[in-house]
Amino acid sequence: MDATVLGAWVATGLTLFIFSFLYKDNPLFKLAEHLYVGVSVGYTIVKAYDTVIVHLIIKPIFEQGQISLLIPVAIGLLMLTRYMPKAAWMSRYAFAFIVGLGSGLAIPRTISSFILKQVEDTVRPLLSQAGEGVTFSMSLLNPASNLNAIIILIGVSSVLFYFFFSIEHSGPGKVVARTGIVFLMIAFGAAFGYTVMARMSLLIGRLTDLIEFSDASYGHPTLWLLIVTVAALVLLARRRQQEPPAAP
Amino acid sequence: MAFAERMLKIDRRIIFLVIGLCTLLPLLYPVGLPIKISPEVRSVYDYMESLPERSVFLLSIDFDPASKPELHPQAIALLRHAFRKDLRVVAMTLWVSGTGMADQLLTQVAKEMGKENGKDYVFLGWSPGGTAVIINMGQDLYTAFPSDYGGKPTKGIPVLEGVHSLKDVAYAISLGAGNPGVEAWYVFGKDKYKFELGGGCTGVIAPGLYPLLRSGQINGLIGGLRGAAEYESLIGQKGRAVAGMDAQSATHAAIIVLVAICNIFYFSLRSMARG
Repeated sequence: MDATVLGAWVATGLTLFIFSFLYKDNPLFKLAEHLYVGVSVGYTIVKAYDTVIVHLIIKPIFEQGQISLLIPVAIGLLMLTRYMPKAAWMSRYAFAFIVGLGSGLAIPRTISSFILKQVEDTVRPLLSQAGEGVTFSMSLLNPASNLNAIIILIGVSSVLFYFFFSIEHSGPGKVVARTGIVFLMIAFGAAFGYTVMARMSLLIGRLTDLIEFSDASYGHPTLWLLIVTVAALVLLARRRQQEPPAAP
Repeated sequence: MAFAERMLKIDRRIIFLVIGLCTLLPLLYPVGLPIKISPEVRSVYDYMESLPERSVFLLSIDFDPASKPELHPQAIALLRHAFRKDLRVVAMTLWVSGTGMADQLLTQVAKEMGKENGKDYVFLGWSPGGTAVIINMGQDLYTAFPSDYGGKPTKGIPVLEGVHSLKDVAYAISLGAGNPGVEAWYVFGKDKYKFELGGGCTGVIAPGLYPLLRSGQINGLIGGLRGAAEYESLIGQKGRAVAGMDAQSATHAAIIVLVAICNIFYFSLRSMARG
């Protein structure tokens, strides 16, 4: 059997097994779920071993004589001492190195990218200067318009106020906090809308494959495996009905 | 039991069936609804168009098969565009679980466009370290990737001629399904090494990337299957994303109707309980 055809049968079968969960939890779903976890972990381990251990450590050290690589290897090995209680203290040096290096690299860059740049973008001029006069652009569709700058300013200020709990949200403060909630709800709604779109895209992807694999060139795996899945679900349901009720 | 109450307690499998049919029927009988190009997708396309021939285009395929339906069509459309523009394509991944898929898609599109490995494109594969790989590439690309995916030493590969680090990249796009992805490429790449960056992402993370787009931290964004369909329309090669748009619109319409109906039933039930 051709590898592509075999792949089509496996993909179709696993997709239908996973979809069978929409009807009820069943052993076919469990089989596909466990296979997915096992295959992804196995693939990751093999790839990581081949790339890191073989290509980045063993080959450069033994074939190219890059002895300096023994330093990161030693630091990495120190981490494994966590599994030996008497030598576990040595792993702290490796963790200290990684935490220190990681923080040093990430903190300045993150502050620059996510705080300073975003603050800079939030406090845009509320009015624009054109020639000698001052203008105000009203376009909601233009992200750089003055109207949008005002909306963003109101949104950011009110949401920040909403999360400021040192003052009771009453009187004018209540209005500002409520405005913040409205902005938060709009943001959550947009995020949820995109999430629905993403999930539907995944469904479209699987159904597109099922339609493609229903072709005669693959041997109609969609049709045959759909029959097998439905038959298996019916058999499982009947067997469950015949089982004696569990003792109280 | 009132009709509204019965409807609110409806078996959820009926809703699954409705959504399934709304997705399946447009896939079997496409209508061809129009696709409007958004400014963020057009920005990516326009920038690619503006690049001179043999410019270096870096595509970081930062996703695995779990996000394939959304990001695979984006990658295919971008690669087709890059190869048609005769750009030098340097592909890589920061996700170890996406390595095989990335290699397969690059090889497939390159073969379709008649491009040669090593001369027109190279797949660097995956290197451990996540975001540290980006920093490493910014200093020296050959230290981060001493060999390509096939094990060939990267030094001396014709497509990498004149490329020493990320500073020599004309345009980079990260197709990200999470972390490391577009944000990591901005924080540890563009912000430090000053190259132009675009993004492609799954629908779930798109809202979180819009602030980067507005502030100019990324010059364009292809969001989800919808973004892929827009890009396919722009390059004039309609593929799986465009084919899925009718189904996407139908399911969205079905969900909007279901949400509206549920609200009507909920409020009518509440008013009945009060009255």
